[in-house]
Order: sequence, then C-alpha cells, then structure tokens
Amino acid sequence: MLETRLNFKLLEMCSRCGACYSICPSCMNIPGYDPREVIRDILSGDHERWLSSRHIWECLECHYCVEICYQHYGFENAMTALRMVAAKKGMHPPQVKRGWDMFVKTGKLGEPALPARKKFGLPEPKASGGDEFRKLYALLKEKRGEAK
Amino acid sequence: MREFAVFWGCTIQARFPFIEKSTRLVLESFGLPYRDIDGFTCCPEKSLVNNVDRGAFVLTAARNVALVDELGLDLVSPCTGCVSNLSTVKGELNSDPREKAEVNGLLREVGREFKGASKLQHLVPFFHDTVGIHKIKQKIKRDFAGMRIALHYGCHMIRPSHALKNDDPLNPVKFDNIIRGLGAESLQFLTKLMCCGQGLDRVDAHDRALDFARVKLKELKAIGADALVLCCPSCFLQFDNNQFLMEKEGEKLGVPVIYFTELLGLALGYDATELGMTSHRVDCSPFISKWEALSRRPSPSASMEAGLTGPSALG
Repeated sequence: MLETRLNFKLLEMCSRCGACYSICPSCMNIPGYDPREVIRDILSGDHERWLSSRHIWECLECHYCVEICYQHYGFENAMTALRMVAAKKGMHPPQVKRGWDMFVKTGKLGEPALPARKKFGLPEPKASGGDEFRKLYALLKEKRGEAK
Repeated sequence: MREFAVFWGCTIQARFPFIEKSTRLVLESFGLPYRDIDGFTCCPEKSLVNNVDRGAFVLTAARNVALVDELGLDLVSPCTGCVSNLSTVKGELNSDPREKAEVNGLLREVGREFKGASKLQHLVPFFHDTVGIHKIKQKIKRDFAGMRIALHYGCHMIRPSHALKNDDPLNPVKFDNIIRGLGAESLQFLTKLMCCGQGLDRVDAHDRALDFARVKLKELKAIGADALVLCCPSCFLQFDNNQFLMEKEGEKLGVPVIYFTELLGLALGYDATELGMTSHRVDCSPFISKWEALSRRPSPSASMEAGLTGPSALG
C-alpha cells in the first residue's frame, strides 16, 4: 500500500551514463559523493554497504539529476530507495528521527510562534488539521496490517 | 482571478512570522483575493517524511490539496518546498488512477476527497503569471534602479518541472523578470542556481551545510551584490541564520538576505521595521542605506525635465 519500487532497467542505463554527476551539487561539493559508485553496487546486489553511509543522506533532493536525466529518472530515485531501506532498519540520522516523531505526533514540524505573531499584529493562526491527520495515518497503518 | 488559500507551511509560522507579515502586507496592497483556511498540516516535508514512510507523505499532501479542492479555491504559498511537495503528489495521483483511488478510499473515511483540480502556485510565479509585471510596475512607489541584486531561486520553486510546470528548470527566468521589473539589476553569477544546501542541516551535517552556504556567499561578496533575494524559508534559514553563525565564528561575509515579499514591500512604500526586516539575523541596513542614498540623488532626467517644463522652457 502506497509504496515504491526501483526501476532496475532504467538504472542499468544510468550505470552507463552519469550525466547527473556533472550537475549534482553534492557531487561538486562533497568529496567521495559519487552516484555512479552507488548505482553500480545496487545493480550488483551489493547495496547494503550504502545503508550506513552518510552519503545517502547528503542527497539534497534538489531534483537537478531528474531534470538533466535523458530518461527523466535520475539518481535521486536510487538515493531515496536507499534512505527508505535504511530508515526501515532504524538507521536514519537522529535529527530525522526527531523530526519524524514530531510530524507523527502533531502533523506539523513546528507550531506558530504566538508571541511573535502578536508583536507583528498577525491574526490568530487557523486550526491545525493535526487530529484528522492522526486519524488518517492510523487508518493507513491499519490497512497495511501494521500495529497501531 | 480565482480566490486562493495561502499555505503558510510550518517553517514560516514557527520560525519566521515576519515573512508572514510582509506577505500579508503585499497581498493586501495588491488587493488580492486570499483567504486563510482551517485544517492544513505540514505539506509534508519530503526529505523527512517520504524517506520514513512514503504512504504518509502521499496521504498527507493529498489531504491538504483536498481541503482547497473542496472549497473551490486555488493555493498559493510563499514556501517553495510546500508547493513542490504538494504539486509532486498532485501530479502523481492525477496520473495514477489506481493510487488515487487508494488514497481516496482512505480520505473518504475522514470525509474528504482528493480531486486534484485546484491550481497550486508558488508566490513568485504567481506574481509573474497571475498578477503580472505591468501591475507590479504600476503599483510600486519606488523602484530599485542602481541596486545590484543576486537572486536565489530555490530548487523547489522550479523543480521537479514535471510537477510544477512553471519555468525552465535549468534556466529559469521568471524571478529575474520580476526583479528587473522592479528596476534592479539581476546579477548573473556562477553559483546562481546552486542548491542552498539547507537539507544537510536536517540530517546532522551542519558543517557541510555551512560549506554550501559559504560557497555562494563568498561569490556574492566578491562580485559586490547588494543583497541576496530569495523566496523560500529553508533557503532563508540557510543564508540568514547560518551566515550569522559563521559571523559569530569570525567569518564576516555581510550579505543581507531579503525575502521577495520584503523587497516588494519596500518598493510599495513600507519601511523595513514594518516589514519585520529588523528580525533578520544578518543586518539588512547596508542594503537599505544604499537604496536611500540612491533615491536622494536626483534622477538623470531631472535637469532636462526642468529645462523643458520650467518657466523659461520653450519661450
């Protein structure tokens, strides 16, 4: 239910291209960050070693690779898949865990700053949809057969 | 123009209420038909939520879009991330009937339906396409002639283009057009389209985030930009807050960071304090004082016009 898969046929083409490497900001600015290496490992069934690598969290999801990719697929799909697998194993960075916890609890990543709103004469913030979101998320988990 | 709901997003309301202030002032000055509506949640933030639970990502975004669908409103946001995430899910569901049915099966249980009919726009392309530069020019009281502005689009204003469809994803022009419409020079520089790198600050990689900020800010300092103008709270956090942290460590770059709505607000005649620009971490006053000094100087046409219209003109 509402899950995603990698397209290995497209990744096969990626392994022979590397256009994204020339435009990716992380490739340009982070030593050792190289999509070609990651894709090679995924294709040879050796993706495990990337799960604990901080590089998979250094993909900025700027979508440059998707735009330059002649398959309109992009390296980011490979990185996203690796992050998803890592997160399922609980290997995501502590900051991501904290953010996720807050999101699941409140449906938001921060509440309106009320004293500052007053100072700027801003109106009362509108009601949050947090309760309905929690109900909906519980329904999703139920449907997938996960524990509440 | 269709009525629209403003999607403020979490970051602006939690951390930068002054951005909400300047956005409201600008929307009101133009008399635009905007509304605040109940029930929004986080868009949700893709890098965080999608990585942990893709279903939660799709469902949450679909629910937010359903809220405006129901009211027959469009949606406009001063946050690039929010529009990009909502549009990504909207596009995906509209092109995948099976997933859409799955999502609606769940939404129905809380009394909602995702139709995916409403238009979702970021504030900058909204001003470019829907308000129009001619309208902006008519409305402003003072332009920025003589000011040298470095633009930062923010990746998610223009990408992914298949979902946003609002500008060329590799060579965008709309923000530039607006800045030129406001009379300023829009500087062209090497790192213009480089990602801000703020994402690194959300995955325990603060030093890397600073590395990214430094690359662009150093170039801006070298080319003598008067300000960095942007319209994304995440990029703002990166360039204002992180620049301030670098300053505290002794690395003074001194590039004022100005939100699009603040720049527009200044041109409309609001002052920096009203717009909340005094809440920035990096001082904006060098930009303001240069601008004020320029406006005190008579325009090049002044003396000639005086000759044409004065008492001795044309006999």
